[in-house]
Formats: sequence, C-alpha cells, structure tokens
Amino acid sequence: MTRIWKILKQWFIEMGSPPLFYNWSSKIIPWLGITTLVLLSLGIYWGLFVSPIDYKQGDVYRILYIHVPSAILGESIFIFMAICGFINVIWRAKISGMMLKAAAPIGMSFTLLVLVTGSVWGKPTWGTWWVWDARLTSTLILFFIYAALIGLHSTIEDKTKADRAVSILSIVGVAIIPVIKKSVDWWQTLHQPSTFTITSSPSMSPEMYLPLLICLLGFYMFFAFSLTLNLRNEVLDRERSKAWVKQNFNS
Amino acid sequence: MSNSIFGWLTIILRRDLLIAFRRSATYITPLIFFLIVVTFFPLALGPQESLLSSLAPGVIWIATLLASLLAVESIFSEDFRDGTLDNFFISLEPSFVLVFAKVLIHWLITGLPIMAASIIAAIVLYLPFDSFLPILLSLILGTSFMSLLGALGAALSLGKSAILSAIIVLPFSIPTLLMGTSVITSSINSQDYFGFLMIMGAMLAIGIPLLCLLTVEALLLNYD
Repeated sequence: MTRIWKILKQWFIEMGSPPLFYNWSSKIIPWLGITTLVLLSLGIYWGLFVSPIDYKQGDVYRILYIHVPSAILGESIFIFMAICGFINVIWRAKISGMMLKAAAPIGMSFTLLVLVTGSVWGKPTWGTWWVWDARLTSTLILFFIYAALIGLHSTIEDKTKADRAVSILSIVGVAIIPVIKKSVDWWQTLHQPSTFTITSSPSMSPEMYLPLLICLLGFYMFFAFSLTLNLRNEVLDRERSKAWVKQNFNS
Repeated sequence: MSNSIFGWLTIILRRDLLIAFRRSATYITPLIFFLIVVTFFPLALGPQESLLSSLAPGVIWIATLLASLLAVESIFSEDFRDGTLDNFFISLEPSFVLVFAKVLIHWLITGLPIMAASIIAAIVLYLPFDSFLPILLSLILGTSFMSLLGALGAALSLGKSAILSAIIVLPFSIPTLLMGTSVITSSINSQDYFGFLMIMGAMLAIGIPLLCLLTVEALLLNYD
C-alpha cells in the first residue's frame, strides 16, 4: 500500500514539474479542444433547436443550456481552486499555486455569465432583471470573492507568495459554496430549487435533460481546455529565465 | 506547557493594551466613526420614526462592519514595521497565540466600544427596549468574527494599501451581516432569534482555530 502511494506521489510530483507539464500538456491540448468543440456544438445545437418547447415558458427556457452549466462551473471551479490552495499551503506544490491563479479568471467569467444569463432569463419570466433573492445574492458574493482573489494576487509582486496568499483566502472562501447550494432550500426564494442532480433521477424530461448533460460536459471540457492553455502561459511566464524555456524557444 | 502559553498570551495582551491606552485615538476613532455613520442615515433619509426603526438593524450592522474595518490595518502593520513581529516569530513561542492575542486586542479596542455605542444608536433610531439584548448578543459574536476576518485581511495585505484589506474582508463578512441583522429584525418582530445566534456562534467556533492558523500562514509569507 505504501509502495503504491509512493509511486503515485512520485508520479504526481513529476507530472507537476514545469518542463514536464509543458511537454505532456502540449500533447493533450488538441484532444481537449476537439472534445470541447464536439460536445459544445452538439449540446447547444440539440438544446437550442431540437429539444421540445417548454409548455409554460416557451422558447425562453432554452437559455437554461447556458445558465445551468455556467452556474455549476462557477461553483466547481471555486472548489477546484480551494483544493489547489489547500495543496499549495500544505505541500508547497508550485504547480497547484499556478493552477489556482490560472483558474480564477475562468471561474469569474463563468460566474459573470450566470448572473447575466440569469438576469436575461429573469426579465421575461419573473418580470424583473434582478431580485434580492438568496440564490442570486450568494452568487453575486461568489463573484465578489473571485474579484478579491484576483485583486489580491495582482498586488503581490512575488508570484509564489501571491499564490500562497490567494490559496489561504480561497480556503476561507469555499465556505460560500454550500451556502449557494443550499440557499434555495434554506430560504423561501423566487429562484426554483435545483432540478438537475446527479444523485436522484431527473425531474425533467429526458429530451431536455440529455442536451443539458452534454452541455455541462462540454463546459467542463472547455474549462479543462482553457485552464491548460492558461497554465502553460503561466508556466512559461514564471520560468522564462530557466534553461528549458530558452532551449524550447531557441531551437 | 499550558502555563507558558497563558504567560505568553498575557504578556502580549498587556503590552498591546498598554500601547492602545497610551494612544486614545486607537479606541476612540472606531467609536466616533460608528456614531458618525449612524448619524448619516437619519440625515440622508429623513427623520420619520417608522422608517428609521425599520432600517435600524441594517444601519447598526453596516456601521459596525465599516468601523471594525477601519482599525483592521493597524493590527499588524506597526509591529511589522518596527520589527516587533519578527521577534515574536523568532521567540519560538507558538505563533497561533500571538495571532489570537492580536485578534483579542482588536476586538477590545473596536468591538467593545462599538457595542457600547450600539445602544445609543438603538435609542436614537427608535428601536424598542426589548431589542437591546439581542443587539448586544449578535454584536458580541459578530464583531469577534469580524476581528478574526480582519486579522486575516490585515496579514494578507501587510504593507499594502488599506483599501485592499477592505476588499478582501468585505465579501467574507456578508454572512455575519445577514445573520446579525436577522437577529435584530426577528427580535423586533418578536420571533425566535436563537437560531441565527447559534449560526453566528458556530461560525465563530470554526473561525477561531481556522482563521487564526491561516493568519499565521499569511504572516509567514512575509518571512520567507
């Protein structure tokens, strides 16, 4: 058991070393890109053109295929960042700090996308762009926390220190995620409770559920794709004075 | 062992309290600031009794958060600048205790005066007498949590602008704001408010160990 653990740890450390990461990530990028493109175009085409019209909301409900995946992404990216932060604080793994930094703008964009699509969806269905409802407000707070993390990172000049500072803050910030998740159950709100769960059978019809699932997978793949690109950029930027970068770009 | 930790705690507490009391501005400023912010609301919104008393819980809590933030920057900055903090870390005593003592000091010089001032605010904002106890209870828990958060913000933004620590701390103080105002509002409507107090207490119970440890970690960033 300890042998397996050791091998795994060794593998993990090796994969995380900047030059090795740069090499192996260049091989997976095209695959990530292709899967993202296929899943997203399939899911969005299916969702926007093929899936049946909602009997109450009409065509308006189709914004769901963007809104729900980006909401899930905005929250899961934060959890991902907190895990990276935890690893960075405890084991001082450099790459996890860079990963945190690379993921933050993506998560913030998804959170902004949820707020914007939600408000566009709210106008025809609730009759207002914005209500001070628990789910909406807690998502807005998540957006502010993303902004605080990015702002903190940009003020500290030493990048490794900035990573650790942001890691510490992201560990505190992850407490917002269960609040967002449970806000529709704890408070009486306008926002509907979630219809989309992994643990129980869906309450939507399968023709609406399947494209949503594909969209969600596509969004996750898009996150993996853009994270890898961002991270490669970050790695090159941090290691630009190292020999391996110079070798790579001179030859 | 415990004896030495408590000895260490009292040494820091005594030193910092002495410094704070020799300079009256440290504990007067948050108090005055709190009262000024509270005064602004009747001036801006007009003096109607019903309006003010319905807004009062929010007013008191917003003023508390802002006043508590005002003193955040001073938690570590002076000790950092003159090298006292370096000596604390070299001294081999547990640094957790140092952070805990600093949080306690911050609470004593901002939280406690604000609690006293909140009663004046409650009277001038026409809150009923029955709500004074819930206000004080919610403020005890809430301002201590704010001091913990403030210490983390101060440690992360050490040597940077004060506005940065405000940006860091404010989003995280929203749960405290929500719970604190809910306590006061439900006591005015004569509903049960212990649930909200319990959540605030739970936040404090998790926050004391977790936030103090993370603050130590954040302070150590400056000593690599």
